[in-house]
Parts: sequence; structure tokens; C-alpha cells
Amino acid sequence: MWNQRASRRQVLEQSAVGFGWLAASALLGSSTAGAAAGPPSGFRLPARARRVIFMFMKGGPSHIDTFDPKPKLAADDGKELPFAKPRVQFAETGKLLASPWKFRPYGQSGIQVSELFPHVARHVDDICFLHSVHGTNAAHGGAVLKLHTGSDTFIRPGMGAWINYGLGTENDNLPGFITICPTLAHGGVNNWGAGFLPPEFQGVPLGVASSPSKEARVKYIANPRWSQAVQRTQIDLLEGLSAGGPAHDPLVEARIKSFELAFRMQTEMPTVQDLSGETKQTLALYGLDDPVTENFGRQCLMARRFAEAGVRFIQVTHSDAKVQWDQHSDLLTGHTEKAAEVDKPIAGLLTDLKDRGLLDDTLVLWGGEFGRTPVAQGKNGRDHNPEGFTMWMAGGGVKGGYRHGSTDDYGYYAVENKMHIHDVHATLLHLLGIDHLKLTYRQAGRDFRLTDVAGRVHTAVLA
Amino acid sequence: MPVRTVNRGLTVTTAAIAAAAWLAAWSSQHPAGAAEPERAAAVSPTFFAERVRPLLERRCFECHGEDAAEGGLRLDSHAGLATGGKAGPVIRPANADESLLVQAVRRLDESLAMPPEQPLDKDEIAILVEWIAAGAPHPDGPIPVVAATEGRADRGRDFWSLKAPVRPEVPRVSAAHGGDTVQPIDAFILAALESRGLEPTAVADKPTLIRRATFTLTGLPPTPDEIDAFLADRSPDAFAKVVDRLLASPHYGEHWARHWLDIVRYADSNGLDENIAHGNAWRYRDWCIRAINDDVPFDRFLREQICGDLLASDHTDESRRADLLVATGFLSLGPKAIAEGDQTKLVMDIIDEQIDTTGRAFLGLSLGCARCHDHKFDPISQADYYALAGIFKSTKTMESLKRLAKWHENVIATAAEQERFKAHEARIATGKKEIDAFLADTRRQLAATAVAGQASGDGTIAAAADAAKQPADLPEEKFPEEAKSKLASLRDAQKKLESDLPALAAAMGVAEGDPEETRIHVRGSHLMLGQVVPRGVPAVLQLGGPLVVPAKGSGRRELADWLVDPRHPLTARVLVNRLWRWHFGRGIVRSTDNFGLTGEQPTNQPLLDWLAVRLVESGWSLKAMHRQILLSQTWQRSSDAATSPTAAACLQADVDNMLWWRADVRRLEAESIRDAMLAVGGRLDRTMGGSLLHVANRAFIFDHTSKDETRYETGRRSIYLPVIRNHISDALWLFDCTDGAVGSGDRPTSTVASQALYLLNGDFVINTAETIATGLVAAAPHDTETRTLLLFRRLFGRRPTATEVDLVRRSLDTLTAELDAGTDATARDIAVWTAVCQAVLVGNEFVMLR
Repeated sequence: MWNQRASRRQVLEQSAVGFGWLAASALLGSSTAGAAAGPPSGFRLPARARRVIFMFMKGGPSHIDTFDPKPKLAADDGKELPFAKPRVQFAETGKLLASPWKFRPYGQSGIQVSELFPHVARHVDDICFLHSVHGTNAAHGGAVLKLHTGSDTFIRPGMGAWINYGLGTENDNLPGFITICPTLAHGGVNNWGAGFLPPEFQGVPLGVASSPSKEARVKYIANPRWSQAVQRTQIDLLEGLSAGGPAHDPLVEARIKSFELAFRMQTEMPTVQDLSGETKQTLALYGLDDPVTENFGRQCLMARRFAEAGVRFIQVTHSDAKVQWDQHSDLLTGHTEKAAEVDKPIAGLLTDLKDRGLLDDTLVLWGGEFGRTPVAQGKNGRDHNPEGFTMWMAGGGVKGGYRHGSTDDYGYYAVENKMHIHDVHATLLHLLGIDHLKLTYRQAGRDFRLTDVAGRVHTAVLA
Repeated sequence: MPVRTVNRGLTVTTAAIAAAAWLAAWSSQHPAGAAEPERAAAVSPTFFAERVRPLLERRCFECHGEDAAEGGLRLDSHAGLATGGKAGPVIRPANADESLLVQAVRRLDESLAMPPEQPLDKDEIAILVEWIAAGAPHPDGPIPVVAATEGRADRGRDFWSLKAPVRPEVPRVSAAHGGDTVQPIDAFILAALESRGLEPTAVADKPTLIRRATFTLTGLPPTPDEIDAFLADRSPDAFAKVVDRLLASPHYGEHWARHWLDIVRYADSNGLDENIAHGNAWRYRDWCIRAINDDVPFDRFLREQICGDLLASDHTDESRRADLLVATGFLSLGPKAIAEGDQTKLVMDIIDEQIDTTGRAFLGLSLGCARCHDHKFDPISQADYYALAGIFKSTKTMESLKRLAKWHENVIATAAEQERFKAHEARIATGKKEIDAFLADTRRQLAATAVAGQASGDGTIAAAADAAKQPADLPEEKFPEEAKSKLASLRDAQKKLESDLPALAAAMGVAEGDPEETRIHVRGSHLMLGQVVPRGVPAVLQLGGPLVVPAKGSGRRELADWLVDPRHPLTARVLVNRLWRWHFGRGIVRSTDNFGLTGEQPTNQPLLDWLAVRLVESGWSLKAMHRQILLSQTWQRSSDAATSPTAAACLQADVDNMLWWRADVRRLEAESIRDAMLAVGGRLDRTMGGSLLHVANRAFIFDHTSKDETRYETGRRSIYLPVIRNHISDALWLFDCTDGAVGSGDRPTSTVASQALYLLNGDFVINTAETIATGLVAAAPHDTETRTLLLFRRLFGRRPTATEVDLVRRSLDTLTAELDAGTDATARDIAVWTAVCQAVLVGNEFVMLR
């Protein structure tokens, strides 16, 4: 609906005061949200993707042990790194450490994937690997924020909020941005918050990382005491009392609409979350029949259901109450365990999206806040590496079976077609039909954007 | 070149004078037929509204209006018409041919032919030409003449907000509106209305007034008794007495301190990359509440926040000294990337946050924009930025930069407390020595006994034999029982002594660092340094010369003195505008935090300037300002348009109420919604001050486990709930309360479905409703009408109408049929009434101010 030009009055007449809609104040000019209500016009480009599913691997999975094979690293195991380490490092590191996993080629493209991801590997022909991502931050907090918001210095809107602001939701009864089991650490809500954007664009969290996805609910979506019939009577009463009020006011109208919408959402949200209609095969596809994959598999399956229901940006977070992918020591055990939890669900989601024809216009983005160093930390761990690491995209208008950019022989620095995190954002927005230079929001006298004053669209990855 | 108003008879300071005064002056000095030669005949005052605006709306707004501002140009506001777009100003008043707007519609140049598709016809162009030729009179004030060749800095120097306010003459209003008797605020507002032939609404009725005043000043609802007392008081100063009572209430300070906390991005946790507790931030919050309750003059309030540590030595009173140290928490409360590995970057990021907050809070300027380059809009250069940065670089904000970086805290304990602390520490040290001595003695004795035993052939203490060789290594488990138990009791006592060590009270804040000048950071990068800049303040805002910073100090004292200098063009204006915003819901300058070139123009600059001058003259007293505002008719207007004799014309001419012809209907702020629910539910705990944080200072609130231990269940006022950045209480977050990520003086009011979900389904709301319902059932058994009356009196401060009682009655019937609430009659009664009370509580009247 954003694409259509509408006057303030038309907007008022047509809209429900939904998650995807403007703050009533902005809508009605009756209050104080000083800035312009909607995004400026002219930022739309032809879109290849309509929605995003972002699979965030918290802690920093190692690119050189998963999707970015480095034969020279294997050959030089135990030797000194032949070039300088970065100016700013997180921890002290030692000599080169070979990957404990073997890689082999898959698919028509012959792209190599390690033993950690045998299921995802079968999808390489649909995947566009971004091997030269860099520019987050050496610490978790800064890196997670940089990845999600483009800034590790200030509190800024998350990318999901920007996209929601630009494109809105396709389902007025659901939020435009849902984040399933997000982490509360390392920026926490800032990563899905709206920052200075109007609050309705923020991500709506379903549960938290420390609780099983089975228990993930939107807060206050269910009433602890009243039946729907009682609630209907309550809403009728409050509406009736408003009608008798002394002065008609648009803010009053907006509030009444918001109660009606909340009432509808109470039904809609549980319906989307209800997996009982899914077939046994589908549940198995996502690994819901296996305790190892059940938790993340459920997140992935819910993501598909939200995608179908018209949610614009869906994030699933692979995290827990432990250290996640952050293997400063014992890489072998940690990564084996983490990969086993996500490999099948991710592959299941890709298969399912493809079977349903959703992969064409759904952009799947995978990655962590940084990669890991090719040099050892302690005996058998790897440190944080924001200098060069791998993320990948699938569907939504990207080239499948394609490797974009590269790191050096050991996987320390991005060297070829370097893709700054701002570039990832610019490219992501481009695929959604958004010119990252033009999707701005005026705050404190300045037009802000997700990519700040940087960002370049890497057209090589476009299909 | 200076900005000139079209009317050269007026001083430059009135560049954006309200249309009423302007038009009055205009017509008195330019009687018809006596226009200056270059100017065409004057057009009627309504020419813009009737002819120009509809034309612009029809043909231009699509691309230069609220949905789009192509080329940075908006033609739908006075500000847009006045400042133009990227290509510069588009209107040169009295000079149509040279105005870009006219050139564009005449399509003289292919690159600037507007509208792009369908050219304006001859008659339409003629309207624009006639209007501009007549000086482009606009209802919101004149369009300034700006020479196209002017540089940004020069243009800025003459920008209205950067020139000191001069007390404007108070306009005369008609006798019908009170003539000379009206107070200045009303005179400025009424004059603007009179010139348009508009009449304001009536003064609101007494129940509305007391409800509005009580919420506005204290953030709480009036009690039924307070309402009754006010209604019964027929004296002419009845309302003034209410205002005085409210200003004397400690709840006034709680409510207005919360406004100030928005500005200073107050939070009880860091909440950027790592969310650890600001365990001592509450002291700053409590200081604000006290200072505002005590009506500390704002200039002092400001100085103490910038350089309280430097003022402390002037005082001997310990609590006063502590307060001064606490006040500097202002500079330290911002979010910091405490895990940042690049320490130089971290230092500059913190300084940037301090500059940005200081600029926004006191100057209404976005100084942070000049970190990487000269400010794109405002006359602030990169050198200006690094001149300020030097002051903060010479200030100690951080104790340690090593991950996780630690902010500095000033010890505020009294001398006696510090003595006690030292004495206690000494006792701990003594205790440790005693234990060590006991261990050594015991071992020595055992060794001696062992030697003796061997000599005598006694084998019973053979276990201690090794002690003879190496007494120090003898394990304690080989001690005799008696020694063991003595040791255990010594250690217990020591442990208690250690745990009893009182925490030495400390507060987040700053101290003097090593004075140093900074270098310009090219493109904002600490890795590319340019020239050294002496410490100082922005050139465009220098008051009679550059700031003189002594070699020995940081320069904060001088910075503070500069900020409160009566000649300063911004400080007082920004503050009175904030007060206006908090009273009326929007500022005279709507962009409360941006008085720069991209900010909004004041809708009534004479009023703003009058208030600013008045504030300084009255000794910067906030309470005096509140009285001035609350006792004005403007503040007391009804929100009901129908009470204006010219309601239709008012709505037609000014539906957005830019002229304040009525009061706006407003939703309560988040804190007031929660506090009012606590109050009417009888659950409000009025205890003041102190910390409700659940973790120790600097402890993690959220770590990698993502476990949420925050608890917000308390009956205390909302200002005392910990502000956990990015995780404040739902009751506040959902209703637009800030979490202090960035300072802001203009909270939005959103209306979203998640608020409705909270109100319909949240335990807090349902429990509040149940408490009220239980009270009603007990107070009036079997009497729906009395219960409804009590409920309305308590929640709205008025009697229900017959229709309303009927509505409640019908809802009760339906609910009784729907509710499955067991067999106990009283329980069923309470359940049904709980559902009713909830609906009344979450509906519109309770959360709205009329």
C-alpha cells in the first residue's frame, strides 16, 4: 500500500491502525511525531524479492570450517601466519590451525561444503555464497549491532525495521517484522528495535533465545481470564462510551480501530503458529521428529508460515542459553553440535520454500556476526574474525550456485570483491526493490538511512 | 548579507513574526496605493490561503509535499517556502522574476521546468507572480529575502534562532478580548486570531481544568475530594490556588523530572553492545526530582550538570557537594560501546555522544553532524565540533578503557562515612593479620611439640611430625580440634567483617582530565588526523569573542557559563519551547530538539521570544513559568471546537490548531497511564527516591544466556522503575516511553494494536480492574447505578450520563450470561464488574486529556 500515493485524509479513511501502519499521531497530524510520517517517495526499484527470512547464527560460525575451504590452511597447519594480524583483535591468538572437517563438492556447481552441513550442501545450486563479507566488529555486541543495524556506535533501527518502514506488511492483521526466539544479549532489542523510526516498525518478538521455540508467543496475545465473547462485550462497551464523549477526535477513532485490530490478531496469530495442520512429512523435513533439530526446526517452519501469511521480514535466531557458535576453545565439539542443530532445518526450509514456489520471491539470508580466525586461540579454538567471513543468500533474485568474493589463502581477510556489511544491506534492499540511498528517515535534522553514508549494491550476485 | 524582512520597518529579529502582528504593521505602514515602486499592489491577507495554497496543493504537493520532497523542497509549509530546497530559496519576495518558483513554472530553462508533466496555465502563473510581487505574504509570517550568493555560515549567522531574542512588544487586543487586561501569552495568541477573524474556544469547565492541571503538573489524576473542593471554591483565584497546591506537591518534581530525563537520555543500564547496570544512575534521577521540586533556577541546574564537580569546592555542606558531583552524571549516562577493542575510537565515540546530547539538550542543535564534515545545514564547522571535543577530551569520563570499559564514578560519601569506611578496612586488615598470626603460632607450637614428642618417644602426635621440618606447610586438617574450631570462628568473624564493609556511596559523573586540544578527525576517523583546534564553542555562537579556556582546566566551567549567558540566543528559547511542548503537546517550534536550519520555524516567534526573555528576567524559575502558562486563558481553553463562536471558520482555517485557538485532545504519557491506574486502583505507593534495580552496579542485566530477570511489579511511580535500555517495562515501552537510547524532547504518541493487546490482556490492567470492582461491590451492594456513579467519579471525576448508566447496565446483562464465574454470588458479581471496570479503564476517556 505504500506504493500508492495517498493523501493524509485518504490514509486515515482507508487504514486500520495496524502493526504495519503509521502512528496515529503521524497519521492524523493530531499529535507530536515531529518527523514525516512515511518514507519519502522515489525509493522503489523493481523488486526481485518480496520478503526476507534471516537465519542468524549467533556467536560467529567459522567460515573456514563450513563454506569457505582453504587447502593452504590445511597444508600450513601449525605454522606462523605469514602476514600481520589486524590492529584490533579480540583475544590473543597463535599459529595456523587446520580445519578438522573435510570438504567435498556438491551439485552442478561443484561448490565445496564441509561435513558440518551435509543437508544444506544439497542446495548449493540455489545458494549465492558471499565469501568476502567484512566490517562488523571484533566483539560480539558491536558485531551483532553492526550486522543488524549498520552501526556499532549508536542505537539505530534494525534492518527489519527499515524494510518494514519501506514496504509495510502484506497482512494488516500481522506485524510486518517478526523475530523468533531472539537473543537478549549483545544489543538485545536494539537489533530488532525501531530506533528513531516510528515504533510500529519494530520487530515483534516471539519468545526469547533462552526458552524453547515451542513456548514462543507474542506477549499479551492471549487473555488469562476472559473468553472472546466477554472481550467482545468489553470492546462494545468502551466503544459505546466513546461515542457519547464530548468531542469527536481522530485520536479517539484511531484507538477504537486499534482495539478492533487487536481483537482480530488474537485469532490470527495463533492460527499462523499452529503447526497441527502440517503433514508428518513436512514436520520430518524440518527435523521436528528429532530432539536435536526440533527446536530450530520449529522456528524455521514458523518462518515459512509467517512468510506465507504476508510478514515482510522474519528473523530466526539460532542461539540458546550457552555460548552458541562462539568456540574460543574446542571448536570440534562445539561446531559439530551447533551444525547438527541447524543443518537439517535450514535445508528443510529451503526445500519447502522451493516446493511451494515461495523461494522465487523470498530472500533467505544466513550468517553470524563474524567468522572465526584461521589462527588458533589456545589449543583448539578460534577467535572472532570480522575481517573476512561468509554469509549466504538463497532465492529472491540471487544467483544460485555462485561464489561471490573471496578471502585470502587462509581465510583471514576479505580480498576480492570485498563486501562490507553496509554492502550486504545495500544489496539486500536492492533485491527487495529499495534504493538504499533513497530510503531515508529525517531525524534531528538529518536524513538517516540503513547504510549510513556507505553501501554499494553488488550487482554480480543478482540473478 | 543579512536576512531582511520584506517590511523594512521591522527589526531583523522579527524575521518570523506572527502574521497577525506583521499584517497589522504592514497595513499601517503601507496604506493602499503607497506601495514601494518595485512592489506590486498589496494582496489581501487571505490571498495565500484562498488563491496560492489551493494552487500549490493541486499542482505541486504531490512531489513537494508531505509524501515527497523532491529536491529537498516542500511547498506545503511556511518553513519549506522560506528555506527552499537543494537549489536554494525558491521565493524572493517582491521579486517574482528572480524567484526560482516562477522561473520553474515559466519553464525558462529545460532543466528546471515544473510541474514536469502538465505546465501551469497563464492564469495559474499569474497568481504566483502576483503573490510574490506583493511580498509573498504568508499567514505564518514573512518569507525572508535571502541573497542567492550567501554562504551557508553567513546565512546561518542571521538565522532567527542564532540571534539573541529581544523582548517583543506585547500586542494590543480588542476590548472584547479584554484589551489591556489580558496577560501577555493570551495577547500574542489572541492578536494572531483576531487578525484572522477567529475566536478561540471558551475556557474549559472546572472538572476538565483540574483534571488537566493535575495530570500536567503531577502526572496523576485529581482525587474526587480535590475535585469537590475546587468545584466548591467560588473565589476568583480558585484555580490559582489549585496550581499553587500542585506546584508544591512532591509529585510535581517527579513528573517534570521525568520530562527532563527524556532530554538527558537517562537510563539505569548501558544497553549498547553490553547491557550492564548503571547501579548509581538513580542518584542523578533523584537529584533532578529534588532540584525541580525546589525550583532550582535553570541556569544553576544546567551549570551543575556540566561542571558540578568544579563548583563543589565552593561549598562546605556535604550533601550539597554530593549533589554537585551527582549532577555531572548528565555527561556520563549515555550508551557506550564498552566492549569496543579500539580504545581511541571508544574515547571519541563517548565524546561524540556527549557533544550530541549537550547540543540537543540545551541548544537544540545537532552538533554531532559535524564530526565527519562541516554540518550540511547548520553553520557548524568541523573545527567547531573538535573545539568542543577538546573540552570533553580534557574531561575524565572513563575510569578504564580496557574491555569491558568502566565509566568513572565520583565518591560522594560524607567525610564521616569515608572515615568509617577506612576504619572498617583497617579492622579487616587487622583481622587478616590475626588469622595469619594464629596459623603461624599454631604451626610453630605443633612443630615444637613434635620435636619434644620425638625426643620423648611419644608417638601420639606423630601426625604432626612433618611440621618439625616445614612448619609453614602443615595442612590445617592436621591441626588439633581445638585449634581448628578457633580458626573457623576467627574466619567466620572475618568473613562477616568483610561482608559488612559498607559500599562507599559513589555516583556516575565526570572529573577533570588532562587538558589537551584535539585535532580535526578527517572524515571522523581517529586514524586520519588533521590540524589542531583550540578548545572553544562554535564560531557562529560566540558571545563577544572566542571562549577563553584556561590552560589548567577542561573548559567545562567556561562552557557552562557560556550556555547560561543571558546573551545566548538558544538556551532560554530552547527551554521555554520545551516547557510549552510539555504543556500543550507541541512546541511553538515543533522540532523541539532542532532549532537549526532544518528545524521548524516558530509558529509565533514573538511569543517564544517574550517567554525566553521573561524566563531569564524572572531568574530562570520554572515554577514561575508554569504559573504564567497555566493561568493564561490559552492554556485553559476547551478542546471542544463547538465552544468557539467561529468554530467552522477555525476548523476551516486552522484544523491543526497551529494558532492555539483551542486545547488539543491528548493521550496521557506512558508513565501517567500506569501511575493513574495504580492511583485509581488504590495501589499507588507514594514512596520517593531510591533504586529498584535488581542487580549490582556494573553487573550484567543480560548476558549470552538471554535470561530475563527483570521485574517490574511494584506499586511505585513509573519514574522509579529501572530504565533498562532496550528492555523497559511493557507498560511504559508500549506507550512511547523512551529508554534513553538518545535524548528527545518530543515523544511521539503512537496508537498501535500492541497497546490494545496489553490493555485487553495484561495482568496489571485486569488486576487493577479487579481491585476497583471489589471496592465497588463492597461499597454498593446490588446497586448498578451507584456503582456506575462511583466508578465514573473515581476514573473520570464526573457523573455518568443516563445513557452511560444504561450502557453499563446492558453490558452487565450480557456479561452475566457470558461469564462462567462459579456459583459464589459475590465472586460472580466481582468478576462481571471486573470486566466492566476494565473496559471503562482502558477506554478513551481515562487515558485522554481533554
